[in-house]
Amino acid sequence: MMHEINEALDFLRKRGVNKPDVGIILGTGLGNRFVKEIKSPVFINYNSIPNFPISTVEHHKGQLIYGEVKGKKVLAMQGRFHYYEGYSLRQVTLSVRVMKLLGIKNLLISNAAGNLNPEWKKGQLMLIDDHINLIPDNPLRGENNELFGPRFPDMSEPYSNVLNKKLRQIAKQKKIKLNEGVYIPVMGPNLETRAEYRFLRKIGGDAVGMSTVPEVIVANHMGLPCCAISVLTDDCDPDNLKPVNLKEIVKVAGKAEPELTELYVELISKL
Amino acid sequence: MITFEKILSAMLNQVKEATEFLQKKIKHKPQVGVILGTGLGNLFIDEIKNPVVINYNVIPHFPVTTVTSHKGQLIFGEVKKKQVMVMRGRFHYYEGYSMQQIALPIRVMKLLGVENLLVSNAAGNLNLKWHKGELMMLDDHINLQPDNPLRGENSELFGPRFPDMSEPYSKKLNTKFRKIAKAKKIKLHKGVYAAVQGPSMETRAEYRYLRMLGADVVGMSTVPEVLVANHMGISCCAVSVLTNDCDPDNLQRVELQHIVDTASLSEKKLVTLFTGLIGKL
Repeated sequence: MMHEINEALDFLRKRGVNKPDVGIILGTGLGNRFVKEIKSPVFINYNSIPNFPISTVEHHKGQLIYGEVKGKKVLAMQGRFHYYEGYSLRQVTLSVRVMKLLGIKNLLISNAAGNLNPEWKKGQLMLIDDHINLIPDNPLRGENNELFGPRFPDMSEPYSNVLNKKLRQIAKQKKIKLNEGVYIPVMGPNLETRAEYRFLRKIGGDAVGMSTVPEVIVANHMGLPCCAISVLTDDCDPDNLKPVNLKEIVKVAGKAEPELTELYVELISKL
Repeated sequence: MITFEKILSAMLNQVKEATEFLQKKIKHKPQVGVILGTGLGNLFIDEIKNPVVINYNVIPHFPVTTVTSHKGQLIFGEVKKKQVMVMRGRFHYYEGYSMQQIALPIRVMKLLGVENLLVSNAAGNLNLKWHKGELMMLDDHINLQPDNPLRGENSELFGPRFPDMSEPYSKKLNTKFRKIAKAKKIKLHKGVYAAVQGPSMETRAEYRYLRMLGADVVGMSTVPEVLVANHMGISCCAVSVLTNDCDPDNLQRVELQHIVDTASLSEKKLVTLFTGLIGKL
């Protein structure tokens, strides 16, 4: 794995990526508005980067964007990799290891998620305070490389209290409604049944999705502070469940994108 | 083409070759199997008379343990006049082994003659009435690991397709444990072990979830071995050393060294229970 990472590192450094400060992962339907904030962008297609998987999800572009936001050097992933696409979790999280070794000090993550909390509504944002991992594999399974981090990484604060505090303050100033709760990642790709939504709610979930946690586990393994925001794209009310279509999810995510962008741009300025 | 029969016979062959290798190294058939978990691999070893030590890496088809806090040895010898076979260091799913690899040593134990299996582990304490450093006897488990060592074609030579789990931990052995604990004045809780994959530790939300499900402790081992032992009709029992308190409202950072140190402090109590039980088998 070290060899694969080094090849990707060498390639990206040669393409001009020089000690970025912040890494960003842009989720489903969130890959447009934020990108416009990046000054002097350099676009690097995933398929040109050695050992990077290629995103198979149609509405995810597959490129790294290196540039500047609020005077900070950022490296943004426009499109991510999911377990349901068939990648191993080691493949899914390779980019996080690469970003950390390139120099990022903080990782900002976004995703589209189903809303399980009856007091919230689709289109709103949720700051992830914690997670319950139901994906049936772990990116750290296999022999541990102590150069990256410990065998049993602590998860008492998977999402940085420092970053979350800043996000809460920014949301208050900007009058953006920012819920806070527990994200549950499942394998997917089928959506959940009514009974599954009840189960997920019962065990403590506020939002359900198919991503983010593998990246968060690897970031924590490497001692990289991270934060994550879910855009609630559909209401998962088991007593009144309607068929969801992806178009609708992408549309709702797109509407919430300006708020998410505002939060993250402001956070970057305060790092 | 690879057929189920070929996979099965390959597995049977591995078990056979490992068993035959070990039979040549030992004089007596072992009656009792013991698995020593994280931080529990030292004091019990001192109790073994005439030990024959065999490193895992010389045994055909045995995986090699990758966890630094685990030694990788089989030790044959005598405890309380019983022939024992002790695994010093075990294999975990999070290390990358298949469940079939984790099962192999247990199958070998059975073929060598083991009738009772004593398992130990280090576990996180979810039950806030209890405290780290104390011991819990497993009364039951909730298996949350995403694979099963019995997945694949079943060999009826080993056991049934659908092994019963109404008594995964032998009531007979557990009753003996309770008596020994009482006689020796050792505090021994009884409860439910939730087995998760790891290796990342649990989040606060995950601890709440596990507690809600009915778990008293959480760990990353034991259940695969117990499933295989039950499959083959080996009676088993297991004791967790509670190495850290998992209070979601007041969660502290956990370091491996702290877990190992806490386990070591409780090791003496565990050894008293295990040697006491072996004496009464």
